[in-house]
Amino acid sequence: MNGERLSVPSVGIMTSAFVDAAELMGHVLGAPGFPFVVVEHPISSADAAMLTERAEKAAAECVAVLLGQPLTRS
Amino acid sequence: MAPVVDQLQSRRFTLDAAHEAQEFYHSRGWSDGLPVVPPTPEAVAACLDWVGLPPDHLVGVEPVRQRAITAEKVAINAVMAGCLPMHMPVLVTAITAMLSEPFGVHGATASTGGSAILLVVNGPIRAEVGMTSTFNAAGPSDRATTVIGRAVRLVVMNLLDVRPGGIDRSTFGHPGKISFCVAEDEEHSPWLPLAAERLTPAGVDPAMAYDPATSAVTAMAAMAPRQIMNEWTTEPERILDTYVAEIRANMRHYSIWPGHYAIVIPPQLRAHFEAAGWSKADIRAYVFSRARIRREEWSEVGKGAVVGDKGDREYQALPDEDHLLVVAAGGPAGGFGLVIPPWLGPKSRAVTVPVGACVDC
Amino acid sequence: MTIDVLDPTHGEEHPELQPVDRLTSLDGLTVGIVSNGKQGTRPFFDAFERELRDTYGVAEVVRRTKTNYSAPADPEIMDEATEWSALVSGIGD
Repeated sequence: MNGERLSVPSVGIMTSAFVDAAELMGHVLGAPGFPFVVVEHPISSADAAMLTERAEKAAAECVAVLLGQPLTRS
Repeated sequence: MAPVVDQLQSRRFTLDAAHEAQEFYHSRGWSDGLPVVPPTPEAVAACLDWVGLPPDHLVGVEPVRQRAITAEKVAINAVMAGCLPMHMPVLVTAITAMLSEPFGVHGATASTGGSAILLVVNGPIRAEVGMTSTFNAAGPSDRATTVIGRAVRLVVMNLLDVRPGGIDRSTFGHPGKISFCVAEDEEHSPWLPLAAERLTPAGVDPAMAYDPATSAVTAMAAMAPRQIMNEWTTEPERILDTYVAEIRANMRHYSIWPGHYAIVIPPQLRAHFEAAGWSKADIRAYVFSRARIRREEWSEVGKGAVVGDKGDREYQALPDEDHLLVVAAGGPAGGFGLVIPPWLGPKSRAVTVPVGACVDC
Repeated sequence: MTIDVLDPTHGEEHPELQPVDRLTSLDGLTVGIVSNGKQGTRPFFDAFERELRDTYGVAEVVRRTKTNYSAPADPEIMDEATEWSALVSGIGD
């Protein structure tokens, strides 16, 4: 992020399970403190039901971060 | 000087009601899954007041991003874990040990190996905060050890960002990652406390040099404890042979690499060592010499593929005698023992720190 | 009765990354999803987008591809993002 101010509420999604811990740190080091949620692997080979389930879970966690509130559904 | 509560720097959130704290902290990944005590400014300030540290006192440095771990941040996680102000000195000491370079906290907590952070507490502070070293010594024996062990894990999660599926790549982990804190039984033991020998310089007699008023915490990256039993002998060597067998099994089944092993000896077995006049040093020497396997033994446990032509090579469980941590603890009945293996050989060193030592004084 | 509680993380050390305004709901808003466009992640983000619309009432979802996979977003996308209510960024996907 190069210290650029984020003018928009943001959240990251980490989707790879095989990223080495040090590499993971490298990703987030680009934006220290950037909130992210982690989605289970695999993504590319998951079947439709599994994908939907993971997408729903990720959406719920992302929304919680964006709202800064306990999980609610509209 | 402003009151401590006004010096706190951490971001504050106003919740409509106390019970909302559970979902608030859990949804952000700030809890281990158990309920948290809401860390109000007053509760955090009370912890800092007790331990006499200003909020910005440097407890240690998080190794990867080089961020300061301050007393304020430790106190917040302490309150969340259920710690009382009087638990802070032990907790701060444990964090100091964990963040020291030889411990290698990043590897120990991020690795697929899934080790926990075992704490062994020595000295008068055990009784002062109500730690018990008898029944359930390695489990939830008392409030102090349970919440202090938990606070360490919350610090690892929240201040080192080590969370399952994130930086924490543990395949399994184990329940010790919730809390793993043991108070040594010094009152009913013929031996010196663990910290006495670990803090005394080589060549100096710990019995002469160690001040019993010292309290200390030893941190070790540890796998799950394994329980052994031998009620059928009074000979120290035979008792230790059972401990050694469990260590050798770890080398065969889990990891062959040498490192720190901790063994816990309960009263029923300690009596035999005392009767025979065995010191902890005698125990370490015996285990060091016996806890070895040959690589060819791997063939018996499904690992024949990597024996190759190195079958005769011998591996030691302990790089040297001092790598065995001998701890007296446990309830009065039961000829059981515990073997606590290392995370992965020599990659993490156990560290002992006296309570009251600090890096920023 | 309200209570004040404290952040147990280092969050406060990076004020430049604090959201300017807290959102109270995503209902009727525009959300931007920025990923590196890898084929394998597309179905995931399709399902994610569906969930945002169906369950959280998001009115519009903008999908963008970034060039630098390890950072949240390129400067050009960040400019466009000022028109969005929220940004979801794929990291390391």
